[in-house]
Amino acid sequence: MRSAPAVEETRQPAGRRSTHAGAVSVIIPVTKPTAEVGEVVRALTQELERLSRDHEFILVFDGVRGAAWLEAQRLSTERPEKVHTVGLQQSFGESVCLSAGYEKARGAILLTSPQYVQVDPSAIGPMLAAIDQGEDFVTSWRRRRVDPWLNRLQSNLFNWITRRIIHVKLHDLNCTFRAFRREVLEEMHLYGDMYRFLPAIAFRQGFRVTELEVVHLREWGGAGLFGVGVYARRLLDVLGMLFLAKFTLKPLRFFGAIGGLFMLLGGAMAAYIEIEHLVKGSGVYQRPLFLIGVLMLMLGVQIIGFGLVGEIIIYTQARNLREYRVERIWESRDDRERP
Amino acid sequence: MEKVPDITVVVPVFDEEDSLPTLQAEIVRALDPLGRAFEVVYVDDRSADRSLAVILDLQRTDGRVRAIALRARVGQTAAMAAGFDHARGEVVVTIDGDLQNDPADIPLLLDALERGADVVSGWRKDRRDGFVLRRLPSLFANRLIALVSGVAVHDTGCTLKAFRREVVEHLPIYAEQHRFLPVLSAGSGARISEIVVNHRPRRFGRSKYGLGRAARVLLDLLVVKMLSSFSQRPLSYFALLTAPFALLLIGLLASALANAEQITSGNGWGTVALFTTMILFMACVYFVMLGLLAELAVKASGMHRSRPHRPLSTAGFPAGEIVR
Repeated sequence: MRSAPAVEETRQPAGRRSTHAGAVSVIIPVTKPTAEVGEVVRALTQELERLSRDHEFILVFDGVRGAAWLEAQRLSTERPEKVHTVGLQQSFGESVCLSAGYEKARGAILLTSPQYVQVDPSAIGPMLAAIDQGEDFVTSWRRRRVDPWLNRLQSNLFNWITRRIIHVKLHDLNCTFRAFRREVLEEMHLYGDMYRFLPAIAFRQGFRVTELEVVHLREWGGAGLFGVGVYARRLLDVLGMLFLAKFTLKPLRFFGAIGGLFMLLGGAMAAYIEIEHLVKGSGVYQRPLFLIGVLMLMLGVQIIGFGLVGEIIIYTQARNLREYRVERIWESRDDRERP
Repeated sequence: MEKVPDITVVVPVFDEEDSLPTLQAEIVRALDPLGRAFEVVYVDDRSADRSLAVILDLQRTDGRVRAIALRARVGQTAAMAAGFDHARGEVVVTIDGDLQNDPADIPLLLDALERGADVVSGWRKDRRDGFVLRRLPSLFANRLIALVSGVAVHDTGCTLKAFRREVVEHLPIYAEQHRFLPVLSAGSGARISEIVVNHRPRRFGRSKYGLGRAARVLLDLLVVKMLSSFSQRPLSYFALLTAPFALLLIGLLASALANAEQITSGNGWGTVALFTTMILFMACVYFVMLGLLAELAVKASGMHRSRPHRPLSTAGFPAGEIVR
């Protein structure tokens, strides 16, 4: 017979630092000395206090100092337990800032914000509510934008292309006003332009990502065109990353696709010449296409060979690769009496 | 109160809120009469619906249920691996969460294990899925896998399987390999058995598989063959792969030598044959090199030292439904 079991919740260790359930750590990467640090902190504090959320600010200075640094120092001496500053020695980019902020953060929920009041802070309420309801990542969408049309056009085009390529239904990757659970960053190595694609990456890693419309208040900087190179680099970054992540465990899927293509092409070339030779009697030796075909065929075979070596390597290392991460286990206490 | 469970049923769950209570009831009904201690491990792969809440309800009413929530969605195989890693029973049974497998078949699988098999794979002989999209490709793929691997499992895609835990403990489960677990374990000396199981049409939700796996199956075949038979000595596998090219090379070389006078004049089949021979020769050498590289990887990992697992089993091994 079975009595109603007492439910015992065992929790996997969630990182070295103890986290505060429900607490929000606001991470603000500062890349310009003219950053309006004070205003942002004030506006967000007001909103977070209205929501009566436990919170802290982490201002990460990306190699810059200046007026913003002084302002941040003043804020952190004013409220040392609420405002922390991290100064990087040189500029590493926003992704590294985010990592550094994450290292310091103690909240279970992370909120990132631009270095000026870009969107209406009243969005925080619904964002945190969505996370409380089980979402992992809430990103914002400036549906009605207030910046010049040229910037808007570029931004929309960029988002559209990204949507096509990554198959993520997100409209605004360029707005960094986001809230997410700390777990999202736990095993992620951030570099380059990754911070921008964070919602897309999180989505591809299996986290639940949702989008919330926010009110766009203002935009820094004037109209201007980014170079094609900037966009190309951004997209290549994310493509490389996503594909690597996707094929790490199945290298032959990747090598096999490329190798198969070469084999198909080369085989078709060689076969075509051979058939012409048989039908029309034209000499194979007069047709360089035949040799090119054979070469391509062999190239394809070689590439598949590489894929097989990859598979062997993964297989031998597979015991070190754990694909899943356990969030929580529920089991009855009675079962756990055994050693 | 239950002691260490004897049987662990692993259920990977993704969006199955409707079927879970029925499934749990059916599992209990199938396993209770056996009088063996069992546990049911539900692994929630971050379902978007209320699946987790349903599982927790089940957990509250039945202490034999364990619930594992994953942090991020990882797919069926990895969810299953989570279940395997947390299983405590000597026997691990995997079953779909969508009720297409019939838990009433579990005792049959356990029976086959009793009789000496190490891995028992379900065979949905009478599948209730669309023919063109689901059954035909699967039929074709399974025949190929059986042919290439030498392990005649009719239905690799069936989730309903039973394992002696020590057999699979040493097998890495990743990517989509749960399908090939019987084949892979056969490679390390396990005895595979197959049991015809009931397959029911979907009652809730929709199928979570798609088409477009034909090319992947071919690639998987290459891998499965390599891993099941040659994971200790990949060089042999690569040498085997060069065989067709080597044969072609010999033929072409003979043809080139037969037309030797054309080689010097530079216009005729002889020249082309010689070039092609050279290309094929290069390919063969590359392959052997790759084989050596693979050998290096295996040696570096120390995997060659973990002897192929030979499971202990005292029971007799009757012929009949035992395929291998």
